Amino acid sequence: MVKEIERFGIPVVHVCTVVPISMTVGANRIVPAVAIPHPFGNPSLDAKEEKMLRRRLVEKAMKALQTDIETQTVIE
Amino acid sequence: MKLELGKIFIEDVQFGEKTHVDGRILIIDHTELLEAIGGDEHLWKIRVDLAHPGESVRITPVKDVIEPRVKVKGHGAIFPGMLSKVDTVGNGRTHAMKNVAVVTAGKVVGFQEGIIDMSGPGADYTPFSKTHNVVITAEPKPGIKPHEHEAALRTLGLKAAAFLGQAVKNVEPDEIKTYETLAPREAALLHPELPRVGYVYMLQTQGLLHDTYVYGVDAKKLVPTVMYPTEIMDGAIVSGNCVSACDKNPTYIHMNNPVIEDLYEEHGKTINFLGVIITNENVTLADKERSSNWTAKICEFMGLDGAIVTQEGFGNPDTDLIMNCRKIEEKGIKTVIVTDEYAGRDGASQSLADADPKANAVITNGNANETIVLPYMNRLIGTTAFIDSCAGGFDGSLREDGTIKVELQAITGATNETGFGYLSAAAY
Repeated sequence: MVKEIERFGIPVVHVCTVVPISMTVGANRIVPAVAIPHPFGNPSLDAKEEKMLRRRLVEKAMKALQTDIETQTVIE
Repeated sequence: MKLELGKIFIEDVQFGEKTHVDGRILIIDHTELLEAIGGDEHLWKIRVDLAHPGESVRITPVKDVIEPRVKVKGHGAIFPGMLSKVDTVGNGRTHAMKNVAVVTAGKVVGFQEGIIDMSGPGADYTPFSKTHNVVITAEPKPGIKPHEHEAALRTLGLKAAAFLGQAVKNVEPDEIKTYETLAPREAALLHPELPRVGYVYMLQTQGLLHDTYVYGVDAKKLVPTVMYPTEIMDGAIVSGNCVSACDKNPTYIHMNNPVIEDLYEEHGKTINFLGVIITNENVTLADKERSSNWTAKICEFMGLDGAIVTQEGFGNPDTDLIMNCRKIEEKGIKTVIVTDEYAGRDGASQSLADADPKANAVITNGNANETIVLPYMNRLIGTTAFIDSCAGGFDGSLREDGTIKVELQAITGATNETGFGYLSAAAY
């Protein structure tokens, strides 16, 4: 899906836990996620901390979208 | 560490008075068995059925399969840390009741349990159609949580296997095989001319009922470590997995791991088999990196020339597999990986979710997406209510006439990644 959307010239950031698979399938902008069962959250945190975590992830992804890249890049 | 494994080949299993082995027939006292395994506050209505090879019987949903064994001499008892104390096992003598399996069945999470057909085309795909199966079905009490149900059913199966194992404690085995592994330094001195080979044993540990236990420890909490192979024969590794049936390792397969068996067979002839490195398949990238780093480090530390890596499950564990392969190869150690494939129903898609050029020696155990039609069976143990939603099933899998069309994924042990099953690959 990442590649098909990019084919139309729309930049995509792939937020995913298993970065090597994202690299193998050819995503260009990759943001590491939390864990496979809960990529965008962490149930061991309380609600307020988890919201912060989610916000930081989304902001990082938004920033990654605006970043110029030359090659496949993992944005830590 | 040296273990004598005495095998008693059972020819039939029947219900009767007092649990014992008569000639080569296992007699099970139904009441005694229920007394030995019952008592869990989460379960009620425990049912025991027998299923024999060649019968028109379908067992589903299958959770675990376990071989009855008993310690005869040496430290500890079978299933250390689970049923017995955490003594280090793997030495002395153990008796194994061959041709018999305890099968635990019943819905735990519905979508992740398997099918065993005792006859017909499905029987050709599961190794557990050839065993006389003592099938234990237990209904959970209302309100029980899935993880409590899983733990209760897991313990029930282990208790049944340990109880039945007692029946061969004083039986003279038909065959005794001795397995010995020395400490690496002594082992290297013994066969200096032979290549040193280790076995990297990946255990499924993703949580949410995808769990394996080592001496009672949830293996997702372990870092990779070394085990004597004979510890595993004494039940030190136990399955707690509710996951795709075709390529999870039931406890039976841990106890009878064919890679360990074959490496021992070649030990002292073509290779010097130094031991087993267990590692896990966790759900964060940091865990995957750490475990594969440590696995490669231990391979190096043991002075291996070669390693065989087996995977359990599929999907994101493909990354653990590839990381292990790449990092071990980068230490200059030749590596073979053993896996299975999810290549689509036509076999045309990419087989693994991850890949690396260093994975240049790969053994496959079949394509789990291939479909099969299973005929109607006269007797059903369990329920077919979850066939459509089980892993490998799809809308319409269970047909009105009782036949089932599923992917091999739904059949217990069909594409097992230790090579315990019957599928293989040929070039043509």
